[in-house]
Amino acid sequence: MLRGAFAIWRRDMLVLRRSILSELVAVVAYPMTIYLAFGIGMKGYIGLVDGVPYSLFIAPGLITMTAVNAAYSESTWSLWFHRKVQFTIESYRVTPISVSEIVIAKIMSGFSHGLVKGLAVALVIFAITPFRFSPDHLLGYLVFLIPGSALFSCAGVICGTVMDKPETIGRIEAIFIMPLIFMSGLFFPLSSYPANVVPWVRALPTTALFEGARQSLVSGVFPVGFALQVAITALLTFVAAVWIFRLKMSE
Amino acid sequence: MPAAITTHSLTKRYGDLTALEGFDLEVAQGSIFGLLGPNGAGKTTLIRVLTTLMRQTSGEALIEGLDTRTSGRAIRRLIGVVPQENSLDRYLTARENLELHARLHGMEGRHYRKRIDELLELMGLAARQKDFPDTYSGGMQRRLVVTRALLHEPRVLFLDEPTTGLDPQSRRAVWDYIKSIAGSMTIFLTTHYLEEAEQLCDRIAIMDHGKLIALGSTQELKDRLTGGTFYLIEFGEDAARYGAMLRDMACVREIEVNGRAVCVGLASWECLSEVVTALNGAPVRRIALREQTLEDVFFSLTGEKVRE
Repeated sequence: MLRGAFAIWRRDMLVLRRSILSELVAVVAYPMTIYLAFGIGMKGYIGLVDGVPYSLFIAPGLITMTAVNAAYSESTWSLWFHRKVQFTIESYRVTPISVSEIVIAKIMSGFSHGLVKGLAVALVIFAITPFRFSPDHLLGYLVFLIPGSALFSCAGVICGTVMDKPETIGRIEAIFIMPLIFMSGLFFPLSSYPANVVPWVRALPTTALFEGARQSLVSGVFPVGFALQVAITALLTFVAAVWIFRLKMSE
Repeated sequence: MPAAITTHSLTKRYGDLTALEGFDLEVAQGSIFGLLGPNGAGKTTLIRVLTTLMRQTSGEALIEGLDTRTSGRAIRRLIGVVPQENSLDRYLTARENLELHARLHGMEGRHYRKRIDELLELMGLAARQKDFPDTYSGGMQRRLVVTRALLHEPRVLFLDEPTTGLDPQSRRAVWDYIKSIAGSMTIFLTTHYLEEAEQLCDRIAIMDHGKLIALGSTQELKDRLTGGTFYLIEFGEDAARYGAMLRDMACVREIEVNGRAVCVGLASWECLSEVVTALNGAPVRRIALREQTLEDVFFSLTGEKVRE
């Protein structure tokens, strides 16, 4: 049933493989700049956060941010480009595959981009900083990273499907995606928020993702509530992405 | 033998706009069928419904007996589509474009690799198969799109304006190829080039405002054109004066003076002797029969006004 989805995913991976070096340089540059500026530059001023050095506090978030950003960007721009510029979506649609397979392929591609680029940033952080974690913690971290990347990939598919103009896609990223990431405790503990705001921030799926990922990787604690929140949101976004894409294609 | 394409009362509405209205059509298997119409006539909507990209509002469309509403996947196995836009993947080489298409059709590797080799050779693209489509000329890109549409051996091939933007040589090459595959599959072609339809198609439909307004072979359509027979009469001098004189004759239906030439539309060819008699003593240099063209038929049915 997913033959078509795998064929399109395979195509996307071939294209990624061709441009992997130039892509990774660009992808690694942004989180590393943040890490060096905040993690090292501010280290002396901030000290410990939640019992760990600030540079360690932000490292899991930066890896996760790279992964989900890459998943979102790949899905959004790829779908928009194939739909509005290259018209390849049309050429897929006249073959015996379903519309759902196309959207699943794009989600898988976004997800794969996220994992590859997140891994690249993780390797660079491990190479140039003292950030370390126990290998036992990795499984718990992946329970957050995998549905988190899938969630952002699905959100990207929705944007790439609904938005017809590239500038609108950029605005969505600036107005919704980046604030959702930055306000969810990536650079500071949730306790920094006023007490009456904390429940609202904790309700955000991005908070569940970044907080859960950090706790799993740094402390080895696995917050089940956060994990369920991320997984359920990813599932709902997936259903919405397929539904919206099908609706758009039937126009 | 069932028809390759059948539509019954096919209607498609976009809100208040009716793009197709009660469209009835039958295309015989193995034929080359041409669909003509001005911009906005509904050609693209019809192709989108027939290729299952769009669902009709009402009516029925069948491809090889399969209903487009219920058998989309089975129909897409049977059809090849050459869209107006090239829709090639510029990040894949020509060969990779074809391999992706083959995988989407579920073809086996050993089968599609052989088929791709054959088709690339046939279409003169074998030497450039490892290049990206962006480096191809317009004609080569078009040939690659046609190759892609033929890869899975479709039974019905839809060509939506296949030669738009091509130079005359490339256009002729595409025509030659279409002629060479005629008979092995049904070909449904839309075009703005009336010469193309005349050259290639067994039967032609003309549509406008979402409706079928004429259907037949090129000759049948020309025969149907009212206005009788046209002659071109070239004078040594005073063409305007002789034109005015002819305009008053009962059997003359149309007159168009162009320099020294006068195009005369007669009610029937029998009127010619009457015209010749009236021109006795006039400095006539040449009288020639002007054949009706498909363009005359097209304009007479759809008007000459430019569409938005």
